[in-house]
Amino acid sequence: MPNQRFDQAKPFVTLALVLAAWLVVPVAVKRFLRASFFELQAPVEVVASHVRDLQDFWSLKARSNNELIEAGRDLARLNAAYEIRLQKDASLRDEIDRLNGLLKLPAPDGYRAEPTRVVRRDFSGWWQQLIIRKGRDYGIIEGSPVIYVGGVVGRVREVHAYTSVVDLISSPGVRIAASLEGDTRPISYQGGLNPTLAPARGTVEYVPVDIFVTPAAPRRLVTSGLGGVFPANLTIGYITRVEPSTDGLFKSGDVQLEPALSALTEVTVLIPQGPAAAAGK
Amino acid sequence: MKRRALLLTLASLLLAALLGELNHYLGAWQLHVWCGGLFVAFAALRLDFRTGATAAFLAGLLFDANAPVAFGTQALLFLAAHAVIFNARARAPREVTLVGVIIALLANLALFLALSFLRIGASPAPGETWMRDFADLLVSQAVIALIAPWFFALQVRLLQIGGAGLRETARSAI
Repeated sequence: MPNQRFDQAKPFVTLALVLAAWLVVPVAVKRFLRASFFELQAPVEVVASHVRDLQDFWSLKARSNNELIEAGRDLARLNAAYEIRLQKDASLRDEIDRLNGLLKLPAPDGYRAEPTRVVRRDFSGWWQQLIIRKGRDYGIIEGSPVIYVGGVVGRVREVHAYTSVVDLISSPGVRIAASLEGDTRPISYQGGLNPTLAPARGTVEYVPVDIFVTPAAPRRLVTSGLGGVFPANLTIGYITRVEPSTDGLFKSGDVQLEPALSALTEVTVLIPQGPAAAAGK
Repeated sequence: MKRRALLLTLASLLLAALLGELNHYLGAWQLHVWCGGLFVAFAALRLDFRTGATAAFLAGLLFDANAPVAFGTQALLFLAAHAVIFNARARAPREVTLVGVIIALLANLALFLALSFLRIGASPAPGETWMRDFADLLVSQAVIALIAPWFFALQVRLLQIGGAGLRETARSAI
């Protein structure tokens, strides 16, 4: 009888022993194991993303010549518009350099833009993350901001040999120092409202009491540049509702994020450059 | 024992890759499929304790490597689910596929809720997050009901091909 009882308890005794052993395993070993298990799966995911790209390529090959001619014409117009903006940008940069020289200000730190394809989207209620197709092989750094044409995507959480993991701004727990467009006062943004079959949303706290927003007249929320991770004035989303917080000193509210955030195929990692980045490294 | 555990880990790797692809496309609708219970059920029902526990733990580590949770969280949850199923398996006709599917569904329900409780603290609006989690759970259960018979057959065939078939251990493992 005691033997039978022990046989029944054996799985739970083993579980307790494994749990106890796991708790005392050094962090370095766990890190090594995590990286190993990630790298084991990475080739499969990267190959799958290349196959998707190939599918897109062949579907584009099926397009008619007329469609290609129209697309080429549209691109030529866009290029012309960008040429003009580049010239303006160059003259503005010269002006900034001249003023910095006059005031003897240090040159601001810049970013190197690294465009990359999305390998995998993983959007659950628990976490929202992307795996991208560039890692240490392209000098990606942990904590680097990630953007796309619509604004902020998120922040690089892990860097692996040739892939990186990005925490989306819609992920619970992601916090960003933000401000309203045209207003320098800081606001705290947090992601984490991800309803099914609808675009992701976030929340804002510490909104000044003199700010009024309605769903009919939303206000654009941008990065404040505070904290040194994200450059200033990148779009996070649109505040659609604010209400007084419980302490009455500030307001809190909801932020509507871009629906395109859920279907990203290409993003750009901003890798910090300059003395501050070197110091951080 | 080692060969069986490795073959089952290979099957887990394949399923994890397929589910990853599915989630990639479902992400556009803010839906997510999580089938942790499916990775535990077969090993707990059909294999001896040590082999099954090793396979379940390794499958959990595969999940943990891709998730922003403390490394080992899902592996230990899988191991706990394996221990419970292994203890109860003598009371059910464990070689019947339908029983395997039901066990996988129940295990997935328990594991999903456990992981949700662990993650809910990070959400700014727990009520809304629970609604999302229940929608994901519903889809996940539907996917398990659909693919579990195929995955069990795949694991049996993989063990046969690898020269570690189940026939000789089917009864001795009780």
